[in-house]
Order: sequence, then C-alpha cells, then structure tokens
Amino acid sequence: MSDVHERLRRLLFVVPYVARHRGVTVDALAKQLGVSREELLRDLELLTMVGRPPFQPDDFIDLHVENDQVWVDLDQRFSKPPRLTGPEAAALASAAELLRPAAQTALASALAKLEKVLPAQAKRLYRELGSAVNARSLASEELGVLTRAVEERRELEFDYAGRGSTAAERRRVEPVEVFNHRGQWYLYGWDLGRGSERLFRLDRMTAIRRTDRAFSPRSMPPARVPDPAERGEVRVRFTAAAAPYLRERFGAEVRELADGGVEVKVAGEERWLTQWILSFGGEAEVVEPASAREAVSRAAMRALEGTR
Amino acid sequence: MDRTERLLDLVALLLDAHEPVSWAELKESFPEDYGSGSDEATERKFERDKAELLELGIPLTYVQGDEDRKDGYLLDRGAYYLPEPGFTPEEMAVLYAAGSAALASGAFPGRHDLQHSLRKIGFFAGGELATPRVRMELGAVRETAAVPEFLEVLWAAASARKWVEIAYHSPKRPEPSSRKVDPYGLVLRRGVWSLVGYCHLRQGLRTFHVHRIRALKMNTSKPRTHDFEVPADFAIDAHVPHAPWQWRIEPPVEVRLELEGPLVAQAGAHFPDARVERVGDRLRVTLTVTLLDALLKHVLALWPQARVISPDSARERFRDLAQAVASRHGGKA
Repeated sequence: MSDVHERLRRLLFVVPYVARHRGVTVDALAKQLGVSREELLRDLELLTMVGRPPFQPDDFIDLHVENDQVWVDLDQRFSKPPRLTGPEAAALASAAELLRPAAQTALASALAKLEKVLPAQAKRLYRELGSAVNARSLASEELGVLTRAVEERRELEFDYAGRGSTAAERRRVEPVEVFNHRGQWYLYGWDLGRGSERLFRLDRMTAIRRTDRAFSPRSMPPARVPDPAERGEVRVRFTAAAAPYLRERFGAEVRELADGGVEVKVAGEERWLTQWILSFGGEAEVVEPASAREAVSRAAMRALEGTR
Repeated sequence: MDRTERLLDLVALLLDAHEPVSWAELKESFPEDYGSGSDEATERKFERDKAELLELGIPLTYVQGDEDRKDGYLLDRGAYYLPEPGFTPEEMAVLYAAGSAALASGAFPGRHDLQHSLRKIGFFAGGELATPRVRMELGAVRETAAVPEFLEVLWAAASARKWVEIAYHSPKRPEPSSRKVDPYGLVLRRGVWSLVGYCHLRQGLRTFHVHRIRALKMNTSKPRTHDFEVPADFAIDAHVPHAPWQWRIEPPVEVRLELEGPLVAQAGAHFPDARVERVGDRLRVTLTVTLLDALLKHVLALWPQARVISPDSARERFRDLAQAVASRHGGKA
C-alpha cells in the first residue's frame, strides 16, 4: 500500500472526526489514528494548506491546533468520512468471523447493514474478497454467554473437566477476559472456589450459566496460556522426522542432535506432558526425569493393553 | 505540489462543485500540476490521480454534457458520504470486539483496511467505545516477525489479483524453493496463517504456511490489471482443514471412535465435522480421515476417554503407535 494512499485515507477521516470531536487533544487523535504525535502534527500542517482553487483565504480548511487541542471550523464539504471501500469492508467482515460462534444473529445482521452502505463498485469487490480470508474459529455458541458475562460483569457457573480428569467439577468464576490462543478459546477469571485467577478452556466447560451476581474486577496479572516452549526441567528428544516442527515451535531453544533430531527442555505438569508426548506417537522420548519417563511408559502400556 | 495535497484539493474542489468541472478548468486550477508539460504527460498524471481517488472509494465520474450542462468531472456527493449504518449496540459490539482483537493480534491480513473500517463504523458511535475484552494470540510458532508484513502484501495481492513470488522453506527440504503463486486467499487455523493459491511450478492449488515464507514479492507491473481470476467454484474452506487428519494425503477412510467421560461434551471441538451417535452415556463418532496417523496420535493422547472402534487396520496402527511410545520409554509388552 503506498504512503500517499494511506495518508490520504487518514486525512479524509481526520477533518470530519475533528469536526465531530472539537477540541480533541493531539495525543487522543494520534491514538485514534494509530500514528505518532509527530506524524499527526505533520498531517495537520498539510491539512491547513488544503483548499479549493483559487485558494482564497476562505477556500482553505480552517483547522488549527491550540493548547494541544485540535479544532476545525465546521466544513460542510468534509462533514462525514467517505464510505467504506470494498477491501475495508471485507477486512472487517473477515475479522468478525472470529466471533461468529458468539453472536451468530448479531453478526449476520451487522454484515447485512455493512453491505448496504457500500457503493455498488465496492460491493462487488467486497463479495469477491470476502471469501479470500477465512479466520473462522471453532467454538460452541456458549462463547456468546461468556463474552456477555465479561461485558456485563456477571459471575458465571459451569462444570469444568480439567485436562485429563475423568469427572467435571462445578466452578464459580468472575469472568474477566475471553481469548483465543492457537485457535482455542479460553476464559480467564477469578475462581471463587479456588480463591485465585484461573484459565479455562471453553471446550472443557459444560452447563454454563450466567448468574445475576455482579462483581467488581480485582487486580489480576494478565492472562497467559502456559507455553511448553518455556524452559523447563523435562528433557525430551525428538526424531529427525519431527524435528522441523519443533524448530518452528521452540525457535532457538532446540538443541540439535547428531542423528538429525532435536532435544528441548519443556515445562508443564505431568498429565499434560504425558499427553503431549503420546501425541507424537513414538517420535518423542522423555530422557529425564525418570518419573516423567515412567508416566509416559505406563500410559502407553495401558493404551496397548486396552486395545487387545 | 505534494501529491497528497493535490489529491485532497481535488476532492475539496469536486465536493464543492455544483456542476461538472471540465478538464480545462482543472488545468487552470492546478497550473503547476496539470497546466504545464505536454498534454499527454499531464493527462497521464491526472489519470493516475483519478485512479487513486477511485481506489479510495471516491465516486468520481466523467459526465458527457448536453444543452444544459458542460462536459466534465463530477463527484457524486450522495455516494461519497458515509451514511449511518444503524448498527444496534450488540451488532456494534461484535464487529468492534472482533475487529479490535484481530488488529491487536498483530497478524491479520488487511490490517490498514481493518483499522480504517473500524474507525468509520465507530464514527457515529456516541462517546468512547468500551475496550473489548476479547483477545487473540496466534501462539503456534516462535519466529513470526515477518508474518504481519507478509500478510499485508498477500492481502494487497489477493485484492488486486496480482501474482506473488515466494521463497518457501518447506520442512521437508533443506533449502528454500522459489515459487510463483496466484494468491486466492488466506486461512487462519490453530494460530497458523496459510496461503492458498495456484502454484505455477506445480500447476495446481497448493497451501503454504505464511511463517515458512522467507521472502515475498508482489508483481508490481500493471498494478490495475488482474493477473488471474479466482475460479468460481473455489472454496477456501475446503483447502485448509480444521483438524490435521483432514489434510488430503491418503485415500479417505471412515474411522469410528468411541468417547466417554467429559470428552462426550467436547466432541465437537476435538473432532470437527464428525457424525455423532449417542450410545448410552458414550458417544460414537465417525470421521472421514485422510491422514490416519494424525488422528491416531490425537486419540492416543486422549486415551482411555477416546478409543478406536473400527476399522481393524486403524486399530492395528493404533497399537503400533502405542507400542512405539512404550518401547522408547522402556515399557515391556
């Protein structure tokens, strides 16, 4: 995308925006436009030179910065931004697919309204491009219950089957954030039963119920999905066949082996680790500690005996 | 005059004009830009400016005059200004939350376009829009520094229908190979962006992981001419599966699994596109599998809550995989 194109798009938005938010601060406007303060000031300077020929004083856009606030005299010509272009609408529509499971109906009607305000030419491009990006996430409709509870700050109750556990347990949680990591949906919140912050995977939650109990948000560290690629104490070796994938996932932290395989050190609790090793079906081997090695061996033997 | 400034002046002039603006008037209004030099050069310059404005969605047309009005350029004001789309708060919330999450992820194709459309739809919203509490992280691979930039080029190339040349590093080969690809589209699955397109070298549709692209160049000649058209029957969803066992590598096999415990409720997430049947408190799922080992490894990790029921060949292979893990860890059969 050329700089002129990008800048022009921004400037055609700035004038109507400032006309609607008169006296907006330079910093707030820069944030809204996603540019640096310096870049914005250069943009505003350029705008003061814009007008219509023959460029008499009244022909210029009357824009000025005073006490770090931006003002523009109502300019009828630039009272509203231009319509969305085909690619703009298509980018929004493809991003919106992320939340389709959460808001099937609202999304469908929103996209219909979006299409309605597109000029004919843009509509064609929008339809063509609309199918070019697919970021649809897989999730149950319950995702919508989660996002609403987070927004409205209402406690949630649900049955949760932790990784590898055989029975689900009822949990009461103050939901703080919904997030998607590696295509997997998670809920982050304060677990009232456990008295600490917890991360829950949506696909392990059942019988989700939004209660009427309101809560005020606590101060909590940002949500993080545990990353096995973080240095841990479990040494795992992978065959040459599996190695390329490990190099991508672990980056510089893999140790190359003479046989073309790699070794990594991973973190994670035993149950998770066992399942992870099993999912490589013989391409992975725990070297140490012995306890982790035995856990994998036991699980594999049980699976073997269970299929006789 | 600076080109951005000239283009803005042009919009200001045309938005103000109540009758068509002739080429002669344009030359007079912009003497330095359109008024000097050969006719051919100035006309070409104006054509480029016009194309830029059209790309920004500015409804500029040339009208043939008649007895009442002269020939000239006209900007259709009715089609220029963004009308209020009239989103309900819920509609606004889903667009805004999803759009913001995609932007904040740092890797979404068309992020400039997305930024602009979020701004435009937010234009009529009263007050500040609440910070959405939805987030997205890719999280699948370590080295993703080049991904956002590549996605942007691929988005531009897919929009403009221009081919791209990529240096692609396949894990199966030691050296990157150079490929010319018509980019049909981009797919996000499990935190990985893939490019689907027509590969000139292989003469067929191929899928490339964007993080494995080492260099990328878009054909810049004739930017406003399409290099290719996407076939009408192309469906991007069919090319990048949701689950690894759906990669089309082997002839399709019907595999039946049985699930129990908490997995029963999670079947949809673990086994997309499966046909399910309840048997007491268990669930039978039937899957069409084109990469058997990928499914069996997944089942092995879930065992004993998931078991292979049929066919026998899949049960045997499952035993082989379990045996392989056991042997490597000193387990005795």
